[in-house]
Formats: sequence, C-alpha cells, structure tokens
Amino acid sequence: MHTYVFLSGILIMTYFMVIAKRLPPLISSFRLQSLFLFLFTVSLAISGGEPSLYVVAGLILILKVILIPTLLLRIIKKIKVNENLGFFMNPQLSLFTALLLTYLSYLFTFRVMNLIDRMQAASFALALCVTLLGLFIMVFRIKALSQIVGLLVMENGLFLTAVTMCRGLPFIVEFSTFLDIFISVIILGVFVYRINTLFTHIDVNKLDNLKG
Amino acid sequence: MIFIILQIIFLISLAPLVSGIITKIKNNLRLRRGQSVWQPYYNLAKLFSKDEVCSEHSSWVFKITPFIVFASSLLALFLVPAFIAKSPAQYLGDLLLLVFIFSLGRFFLALAGLDTGSSFGGMGSSREMFISSFAEPAIVMAFFAVSFNFGTTNLAATCGPGALKFSSLIAGIALLIVTLAETSRIPIDNQETHLELTMIHEAMALEYSGPSLALIELASYLKQIVFFTLISATVYPVVFCAQITPIQALTGIIIYLAKISFIAVLIAFTEVFLAKMRLFRAVDFLYFSFVLALLALIAATLGA
Amino acid sequence: MLNLFNTSIAFLLDPLSFFFVFTILLISLASAIYSVGYLQGEYSLRKRLYGWVLFAAFIVSMLFVVTVNNALIFLISWEAMSLLSYFLVIFDQKNEKSISAGIIYLVMTHIGTAFIIASFLIMYKYSGSFDFAAIKAACQNIPVFTKNLVFIFLLIGFGTKAGIVPLHIWLPYAHPQAPSHISSLMSGVMIKTAIYGIIRFIIFILGIESLWWGNLILIIAIISCLVGVIYALMEHDLKKLLAYHSVENIGIILLGIGASMVFIKLKLTVLAVLALSVGLYHLINHAIFKGLLFLCAGSVYKATGTGDMEKFGGLIKKMPQTALAFLFGAMAISALPPLNGFVSEWLTLQVFFIGAFSVSSGLKIFFAICASLLALTGGLAASCFVKAFGITFLAMPRSAKAKEAVEAGLSMKIGMFFLAFFTVVFGLGAAVVFKILAKVSQSVLAGELAPINFSLNNFTINIQEGNFVYLSVPQIALILAIILLITATLIYLFTGKVKKYGTWNCGYYKLTPRNEYTATAFSKPFRIAFGFFLKPYRKTEKLRESFYHVKTFKYETHTTSIFQEYIYKPILAFTFGSARFIRKIQPGSIHLYIAYIFATIVALIVLIKIF
Repeated sequence: MHTYVFLSGILIMTYFMVIAKRLPPLISSFRLQSLFLFLFTVSLAISGGEPSLYVVAGLILILKVILIPTLLLRIIKKIKVNENLGFFMNPQLSLFTALLLTYLSYLFTFRVMNLIDRMQAASFALALCVTLLGLFIMVFRIKALSQIVGLLVMENGLFLTAVTMCRGLPFIVEFSTFLDIFISVIILGVFVYRINTLFTHIDVNKLDNLKG
Repeated sequence: MIFIILQIIFLISLAPLVSGIITKIKNNLRLRRGQSVWQPYYNLAKLFSKDEVCSEHSSWVFKITPFIVFASSLLALFLVPAFIAKSPAQYLGDLLLLVFIFSLGRFFLALAGLDTGSSFGGMGSSREMFISSFAEPAIVMAFFAVSFNFGTTNLAATCGPGALKFSSLIAGIALLIVTLAETSRIPIDNQETHLELTMIHEAMALEYSGPSLALIELASYLKQIVFFTLISATVYPVVFCAQITPIQALTGIIIYLAKISFIAVLIAFTEVFLAKMRLFRAVDFLYFSFVLALLALIAATLGA
Repeated sequence: MLNLFNTSIAFLLDPLSFFFVFTILLISLASAIYSVGYLQGEYSLRKRLYGWVLFAAFIVSMLFVVTVNNALIFLISWEAMSLLSYFLVIFDQKNEKSISAGIIYLVMTHIGTAFIIASFLIMYKYSGSFDFAAIKAACQNIPVFTKNLVFIFLLIGFGTKAGIVPLHIWLPYAHPQAPSHISSLMSGVMIKTAIYGIIRFIIFILGIESLWWGNLILIIAIISCLVGVIYALMEHDLKKLLAYHSVENIGIILLGIGASMVFIKLKLTVLAVLALSVGLYHLINHAIFKGLLFLCAGSVYKATGTGDMEKFGGLIKKMPQTALAFLFGAMAISALPPLNGFVSEWLTLQVFFIGAFSVSSGLKIFFAICASLLALTGGLAASCFVKAFGITFLAMPRSAKAKEAVEAGLSMKIGMFFLAFFTVVFGLGAAVVFKILAKVSQSVLAGELAPINFSLNNFTINIQEGNFVYLSVPQIALILAIILLITATLIYLFTGKVKKYGTWNCGYYKLTPRNEYTATAFSKPFRIAFGFFLKPYRKTEKLRESFYHVKTFKYETHTTSIFQEYIYKPILAFTFGSARFIRKIQPGSIHLYIAYIFATIVALIVLIKIF
C-alpha cells in the first residue's frame, strides 16, 4: 500500500520535471524523485529482506538525493547562466505528450508483458514511463544541463525497472552504474562549464555553429 | 441519526480551527510565533458583534449574497462523509452535486463583487470566475477516477477498509491542487495579501463588513473543510460503514482528525515553499491537475 | 415519380411529437403575451398586424414540422418555417444590419435544406414513398455506404439549422436582429426543430448503423459547447451573447443525444433511453431559459435603445422586475441549483458517469473527457452570465440612456415571469418531468420493450448492487431555504444597524462609472487564456502632452473569428473565382447558346443509351 504512495510520488515528480520552466525546479524535482526512489527501495529491502538493497538505497540517498543535485545547483550558480530551460515544445503540449507516453507504457505493460502481479505491473509501467520521460526531457529541452537531468531521470527509470523485475541487479553492476553516473555528471558539468566560457551560453541547439 | 447531526455540528465547529492550524504551521515554518490557532473564532465573534457598512451603489444582490454563500457551503457540508460513511443527506445528491452547489455560492459572490461599482471588486470577480472555470474540469475528471474505484458517484458508498489505490492517490493529488485554487491559497491566490490589486477572493468581499463578512469568512472555512474531507474520503475512505457504537465513532473521529491534519500540514508546506504564480500560470497549474486526474482515470480503468 | 404529389397530409402524433408541440406552444404563449407590450410604440399598427400574422404563421409552420407524417410535407413546412423566420429577421427593415443578417441566414439555411432534400431523395430511392413508416421499413435495405452518406447529409442539413460548429455562423447574426420576442422563439424553439429532425430521421427512421455516428455527434457537440461559450464570453452585445449561448446549449443537448446513439449501437437500451431523455430535458429547459433571457434582453433594449453592454449598468434599480427575471434565467443557464438548467446538466454529466461503467476502456476515457469539458463549459457559462448580469444590471449606470431607463410594461412582465416561473417548476418538479420524458424517449427507441423503471431519484442502471445515485431537487431547495431563513433571522435579530457609505476605491476621492469594471475587462483573462483560438488583436494609442501626462488614451481590441477567416472566406473566394471562370462560357452569342442546348441533348441521348 505505501509503495503506491512512493510510486505516485515518483510519477508526479517526473511530471513536474516535464512542466518545469527553469533549471532549479527541475533539479529539485529530480531530488524529490530520487528521494521517493530511495524510499521505494528501502521498502522493498524491508519486505524482501535483501541486505544488498540497503546499500543500494544508501547509494541513492548519498548520490542522487544529496550529491548530484547539489553539484548541479552549484554549477548553475557558478556559470550564472539564464535559468530558463528553453523549450522545443511548450509545457502544456509536453504534459499532454507525457500523458500519452504514460498511457503507452501502461498499455505495453498490460498487453505485451502480461504481468500477473498488479503491483509489479504498475511499477514496471511506471519505470518504463519514467525512462521515456527522461528521454523526452533530453530531446525537447534546449539547455545542456537539462540533458544531464534527463539522463539521470532515465537512469532512475532503469533502476526502477531492475528493482521491480528482479529485485535489483548484482551489487557490483549496481555500484559501477552509480559510479558511472556520478562521473558522467562531473564530466558533463565540466563540459557545460567549458561550453559556457567558450560561447557564453549553453544552448545545445546552437552547437551546430561549430561545424565549418 | 444522532451521529449524523453530531457530525455536522462537529464539522462546523472544526472548520475555523483548520484554518487557524494552517496559519500557525505557516508562521512556525517562517520562524515566527504567529497568532493563536483559535484566532479565526475570535475574528468571527468580533465581526458578528459589529455594525455593518454597506456601499450606497449596491443593490439587494449585495445584501443577500452572504446568506446564499453561507447556505451553499453549509449544504455542501451535508454531502461529504467525514467519519460516518452514510453521509447525512445521501438521498439529496451525489459527488457531482458538490460542483454545482459551490458554483451557486461563487456566482453570487462574483455578482456582489461587481455590485459595488469599484474596480477591485470587478477584478476579483473576473479572476475568481476565470480560475474556477479552469478548476472544474479537473474536479470532474478526478471524480470520474474516484467513481471508478467505488463503482458509483454516491458518496455513501465511499467506505470500507482504507484501500489506498494508486489511482485514487493521484486523483487525490489532483484534487489537492484544485483545493489550493478553490480555497484561495498560494500559488493561485494569497489569503494574507493586503494589496487590492493582487487579491482574488478577498477582492470580491472587499466591501463587506460586520456580520456579512463573518458569514462569508465562515463559508470559506466550511468550503475548505468540505474539500479536505472530500480528499480524505476519496483517498483513504471512512473505515466503518455502519457506525453504531460510540467507540467506533470515536475511532472514526480520531482517524478523521489525523487525515485532516495531514492535509493541513501538506497545504501549509506548499504555501510556504511555493511562490504565488502569475494569473496565467495558474491555468497551467490547473491544467497540470487535470492531466493528473486523467492519469488517475487511466490507472483506474486499468484497475490499478 | 408518379406518386410524388399524390400525398395527403397525415399527422403523426406520437409522444415525441407531443413533446415538441408542448415546447413550441409553451414558449410561443409567453412570447405572444410579451409581444403585445414590446411592439407597442415601436411600430405602426399596420406593421404590428403584419408582424402578428407572420408570427402566427411561423408558429403554425413549426407545429407542422414536428407533427407531419410525410417527408414531402415535412420539407414544405420546413421551408415555410425558414422563409417566415427570414421575414421576421428582416422585420426591422430600417436597420441595414437586419438585411445583411437576413441574407446570411437565408443562404445558410438553404444550404442546409439542400442537404436534407438530397438525403430524402436517397431514402426515397429505396422506399418509393415519402411516408415515414414506409421509409423506416425501407431503411433496413439501404447499403452501409449509402446509409453513412444519408447520415452525413442529415447531420449537415439539420446541423445548419441547429447551429452546430462550424455551421453556426448565421446564428449570432440572425437571432439578435429579429425583434426580441422572435429571437426568443427562434433561439428557444426553432433551432430545436432541427434536433427533432435528428431524432426523428437519424435515430427513429434511419437507425444507428455504426458506433462512429454517436462518437462523431459527441465530438461535434463538445466542440460546439466550447466554441459557443468562448465566443459568448467575448461578446458584448447582450443579444449576440445569448445567441452564442444557443450554440453552446445545442451542444449540451447533442451530448445527450449522441451518447444515446452510442448506447443504442452497444445495445444498452436502458442507458440509451436515459441519455435521450436527458437530451430532451435539456432541450425544453434551454427553450425556457433562453426564451426568458431573450425576452429580458428585449426589455432592456426597449428601455435603453441599445444592446451594447458597456452602456448599461445599474438597471437593477430602474428595472427591478426585469432584473429579477433575468437573474432567474442567468441562474438557470449557469446550472445553479435548484433551477432547471442545473437538473439537466447534472443529468448529462450523470449519463457519462453511469454510461462509463458499461463501455470499453477507450470509450470510458472519451466519456470522461466529454464530461470534464462539459464541466469547463459550465464554468465558462457561469462566468459569462456573471458578466452579463453584473455589467448590465449592477453598480452604476454607464450612460445617460441607462440612467433614464424605465421598467417594462405589464404584458412584457407577464411574459417574462411566466417563463421564469417555469424555470423553477422544471427544476423542482424534475422527478415528474423526467418520468414523462423517459416515456417519450422510450417510445422513440423501443416501443415494444417493457416499461423501464428508473426515476430521477434512483439510478441503479448497471451500477454495483445496492449503490444508488440520488438527486432530490425539492430537498435541496428546502434545505437551502431553511438555512437562508435561519441565518437571515439570526443576523437580523442580533446585529446592529447598517450604515450606507461610499464604495472604497483605494483612497481615490471620486468614484464615477468610468472606474467600474467593464465587460471587456471582465473577459480579458479568458481572452488571453484562449488566445490561441481567438487570436485577439489589440491596438493602443497614446497622445502625450509631455512624457508624464497622457492626454488621451485609446485602447482597441477585437478577436478574429477563425471560422469565418479560415473556412468561409476561402470557400467564398473559391466560389467567386470559379464563377469568374464559368462566365467565360457566356459570350453573349445566341448561336453558341443554341449550340449548348444541342450539345446537352446529344449528351443526354448518349447517356440514356448507356444506362
């Protein structure tokens, strides 16, 4: 029952990210989403009794709830860039598309996957939807930092899939994924910083000026 | 029957307290001491004992409005199940009736705003009608999702062991956003504002004073508790369906109070941590709640 | 083709026809009483007599439309109705606008009639008779494709008269130009004959062939609702505003009828009966309150000489009874309990809620979207009538004419209050009315079935065992009245005196009518929120004396009608263009003309050989 609360928390936070107009709310929503993911993992760990899940949950808490958002917020502050995200698709239409994607992932889960356990089906659909929406954010937002956040959201979705389908991946895979993510955030952060100092903006769609 | 009457009296007396508690939490979050939680009662008592000033341009519409607003809010209170599932007036109407009843009060309040001839009243009426028009689809959509979970729109059927479903949870959040709009709270409106240009709900009632103002204030407290009760009844339904023993009733009351205070805390936190939106961003916000409700409906049709 | 004219007038007096006859007579009665006072002083006696003759003939033609038993007679009376109403639209011939409105109306209504004739001829091809019963029997043999074609033709034909979007454009021109008692009749009753046509010819005679028919009607209905109410919000001419609301309400009626068609196809007969009777309920309710509102608008027009809302204000003090009647109408159309509009709108929502339990999941979501858009429409309609009542009747007068307005005459007041009384009756007596309507729609759908037992207070259709849905309007009204009385008495007994004082205007010393909120200002948020649809245009002009002092300020705003801009204008341009092209074959030489005739005859002979 309480897992439903966490799941809907994750979903609603993803929706918030889809309509966010500025970077700080995007990142705070990501932080809250990760918090719900953490709670979800902990509740699974308690009910499943797998000790490795506790460690993974701890990693989520440290990396995704505390470190990464703080880092991203600091980058924003440092590069003093305009906080607006820049849209290829306006929030209303994005939200509608998000709804369609959610419906699609639900249909996929119920028609194609044929999962019997309702709880598992719901969380799988949700995981799929979160992954898709992460991709959506990466595609339809202009600023480079939103691509980073989109990637993180996708990773959250994938993690949720792994957790719901097979109670988490082997610990070492999990750990290296987290490390990867963390490193990639740092690299991307530096990259964004570089772009900004070179071009005084971080609009990804203007990067095509680079080709000769 | 006795419990039902008790329930209504209980809810009326509780309504101002909820507002008081929210204000108190907000003040404490802002590291202020704040007024006492009983302050709304003192305000009401003060207003009821005062004389009244009435605009010379106004007509009888202005005079009857407070009574109609109050009556519509009170009638809405008859319909929601607080701690007894058999709501007092289940033969009166259903969930959908609530939408119409509130629109009765709002219609007259908006007319009263226009009646005094001041530009602020008109501004308030225009904005209130604007926001409430966009809140209505979200309410109906959320009701749709909820009615799928219960199999009917009859509120008396919303009972049983608390089945916290995914769909009703999301519908509840959609209703919470609507509640922010309907009870004039940040980020849509600001109850604490003293600037006429930023008011929405307050601007319509700007010309009221004395007992009339007291009635309008009381009506908005009642409206607030109706919405809170509605959310609590749909997300986490009343536990006992046919209450007979006083002990069960007492348990019901305690659970109800817990639910209401949880919602109050939630509202207080949103009010402190969000900034007021531009009027036209409010439409996006309500659209968001509509989409959430649609999502809840999809989840409900799929049985989640 | 021999028996084409060999028809005798026969009447079909089934419950459906009786229902429409009742509706027509009810509104006509009020409108006739009203017209006595309304026409007095405006026109000469001769003109008035001419008006009354037209009025009576118009009513008779409408009665014929809803009662005849023969498609040919139906067409003739339909055409008579259209023409008579055209003459009534241009009754006020001094007014240039009347003439152009009349022409738009005439063209649109004839396009519609053409489609109806086409569909009748197709049906005639299969039945060989114009008798309704014969056509109904023959309709089973019509192939699916032709049936779809007939459906589309009938929908366009009757839809033009009903004013569904995008065929609504004549309505806001024609209805306001007619004298007000005629407007009330046209908006209240005449467009409903088109609904009669849809029920009679599509549901009763043709039969529902596929599911998309109902879905199409639902989509058209919900678009009509929204478009009608959004345009109404932008409108500041009182009668035009009401005309746009007719588009909206036709949409609400069609929601019930479309839902009924969906249920018929799904073999959910009980739900189909429910939905159809809800549609009929809203139909008669709309006839009552729209008739009432047009009569009140007429009184205001007569008192002030204008329909522009920005010039009204404060009329509640000059015309208290008209204001009260208008308030009843406004409350009814905004679906406020306990009046009649509330009951039918609640029922329409309920149709979707109850219906959604027994349809597939895709339709469930479609129904939910319909219901919530209907709720949006309701909210917008309420805003629109806050504007209409508030700006027209409340606060201070905005013009000299509004200041000198006088109350309407006795016969006008009787006409208005007669209908105002019925808004209450059809609200409080909802249970009884609904029972009768259920019988009417049952006779349309499934006369051979056993009587269906559901009442307003007890819907148990397809819902879980033991869960009932109730609505008791008298109880609601009673509780509201009790609370009102008790609080009013308490406040009256225990509080001090009431002092009159000026309105607080933020410290500004002199409050004039120019400080008041205008109708344009009231609808501004809506104009911006629906900007993508309305495409508002604004222009501001400042004349400055110095940087700080603006001498005059001009603000101009209007919205673009996208239907005129993107549908009708291209069609007109195309028509004129092709006409110019065709003109080339007319060089004025008589030899060539004879050659044309010759060519045609040869072509005909060849064609006959082929067939």
